[in-house]
Amino acid sequence: MYRLALNMLFGDRAKLAMLLCGLAFSALLMAQQTSVFFGIMSWTYTPVYNIRAPIWVSDPMVEQANDAKPMRDTDLYRVRSVDGVAWAAPLHTSFLQARMQDGNFKLITMVGIDADTFAGAPAVLSQGLIEDLRLPNTVIVDEWGAQLMGRVTKGPDGKDVVIPLKVGDTFEVNDLEARIVGICKVRRAFTGGPFVYTTYDRTKLYTLGARRTLSFMLVEPQAGVDPVKLCARIEADTGLKAWTSDTVIWSWSDRSLARNTFWWFWKNTGIPFSFGTAVALGLFVGIAVSGQTFYSFVLENLKYFAAIKAMGAGMGVIARMLLVQAFTAGLLGFGLGVGMAQAIGRAMIEKGMPPFIMFPQIFWATLALVLGISLVSAIIGIIKVSRVDAATVFRG
Amino acid sequence: MSTHAAHTVAVRTHGVDMFFGDGETKVTALKQADFEANRGELIMLVGPSGCGKTTLLSVIAGTLTPQTGTVEVFGQRLDGLSQEELTTFRRKHLGFVFQSFNLIPTLTVLENVMVPLLIQGAAHDEAVAKARAMLEKVGLKGREYGQPNALSGGQQQRVAIARALVHEPSLLICDEPTSALDKDTGAQIMQMVRDLSRSPERCVVVVTHDHRIFRFADRIAEMEDGRIRRVVEDASLLDTNHL
Ligand SMILES: Nc1ncnc2c1ncn2[C@@H]1O[C@H](COP(=O)(O)OP(=O)(O)O)[C@@H](O)[C@H]1O
Ligand SMILES: [Mg+2]
Repeated sequence: MYRLALNMLFGDRAKLAMLLCGLAFSALLMAQQTSVFFGIMSWTYTPVYNIRAPIWVSDPMVEQANDAKPMRDTDLYRVRSVDGVAWAAPLHTSFLQARMQDGNFKLITMVGIDADTFAGAPAVLSQGLIEDLRLPNTVIVDEWGAQLMGRVTKGPDGKDVVIPLKVGDTFEVNDLEARIVGICKVRRAFTGGPFVYTTYDRTKLYTLGARRTLSFMLVEPQAGVDPVKLCARIEADTGLKAWTSDTVIWSWSDRSLARNTFWWFWKNTGIPFSFGTAVALGLFVGIAVSGQTFYSFVLENLKYFAAIKAMGAGMGVIARMLLVQAFTAGLLGFGLGVGMAQAIGRAMIEKGMPPFIMFPQIFWATLALVLGISLVSAIIGIIKVSRVDAATVFRG
Repeated sequence: MSTHAAHTVAVRTHGVDMFFGDGETKVTALKQADFEANRGELIMLVGPSGCGKTTLLSVIAGTLTPQTGTVEVFGQRLDGLSQEELTTFRRKHLGFVFQSFNLIPTLTVLENVMVPLLIQGAAHDEAVAKARAMLEKVGLKGREYGQPNALSGGQQQRVAIARALVHEPSLLICDEPTSALDKDTGAQIMQMVRDLSRSPERCVVVVTHDHRIFRFADRIAEMEDGRIRRVVEDASLLDTNHL
């Protein structure tokens, strides 16, 4: 009987297509929107990705990774003397104006890394060598930044063409020359960028001798020392704040800088709300479309279900038939929707915009949602069929 | 079981009242309807539109429960049975042929005929075999995997007959089986119903308006205003103007 139930479902291609569209649309919206949401939110903790170090140390008032409250340089020595610290390197981040060759100003994020250890240096350089940062007045720019800061000219067809910055190009920051010796690949960020890497000491020049330039310290524990325990020790000994650099935002560890950054943006910005609204609206439409289509499928088949009832099928059998139909449609719609979300996500990642992260949680939540829609539709159908009188089969 | 009647009577209703709604809108469809059909018999229920034929048929089929009176089908009292018991009763003992065929359009011809067997819990392969054999009997061999809508009205009604008889029910219920068919096709269908359902252990009740098929009946029960007016053995005795 369940085989026949499926054949009933697959027999009407047009209805089935409508039903699958509705379900796939719900699944797509849910998976796609939430994945993009988490992708964009992952941009908020980009620094933790780009600047790899087991432990970050900051001013105690700092709440998240994009928030710099500079410390004294002497704090570095205090951290280095904490038991279990293998090494600690300074890190500077600040927003500065760069003056391009053509006279235009561009906002940049300057990142100053330790010239001895290169701790926090970008992992991948597509051009140049990191060691060249030790040469005077040198910087490394990220690929996307090189594009943003590039020179705009007219192409042969009269359209604007951007010529990205390359190794050897120069610009100025606070009247000091910055010569590009490398192009790096880093993750995009929510706030900040283009990223201009230079040495920590040189940032003091570029920032015109700011009194404090120590935004973060990057700490490596000694072999065998647990980072979480070391964080606690650093905090106890120095009064500073120490963070772990894991990027699992679902973890309960309140030491995770990424996780704190994520939830800080969650609480303090309208991003979750606006995405939430989009997802909710999409879901509403999806549920309405698929619920409505399944309902009309049931209505269309109502007289046949009544006939089956008259022929002696109990409501149990009919209920199971409807459940089989609804869940089959649900699973197919889910597969289609999530597949489409993945395909779109891939395409977007390829273009680098916007980011897309489909957590397993999103996958399962979408599945639960689609099956929920199926269940509700099936239940409505079951109620409808249970109300229909078997005697109606004799009425034209 | 000792009396002659117990052996021959297949369907009996006695003192059946059936009304719909109440108060201002109350409609009495059956009043004191007494009806009897015998085993091995093809009996027709005739009468003007609205006289209660379909309602009586529904009562006999156990899809409607009358407010008063007794209903007995093959020795089983239907009045007083629960919905579940009635469902089980229909599953085992009843075959239906509807005016509008009621074939499921999204299933194949074969699958449609399999439905009563599957409802009874038959294995898929067994149902396929029986449904095939039944389709061959109604002359639709080779049409098993087509869609019902691709068939002519007469062919569709033959599928319906196959579906109604595939599980060998004791009581075959047909509501206006020929009203959607032309004269010749209607006659063929009735011939088929008669040929396939003639059995001392079976009873066929046919509701119809269609005097062209009266000749297929063993007896004809004429209804009027919710009761059986009279039962005749020969259609010529009917007052056809009255129908
Ligand atoms: N479900 C119902 N609700 C209200 N009235 C009904 C219902 N079914 C039948 N009737 C009424 O009962 C009477 C008998 O109907 P029916 O048995 O269908 O007659 P027939 O089949 O002889 O045309 C009619 O007056 C009809 O309007
Ligand atoms: Mg009728």
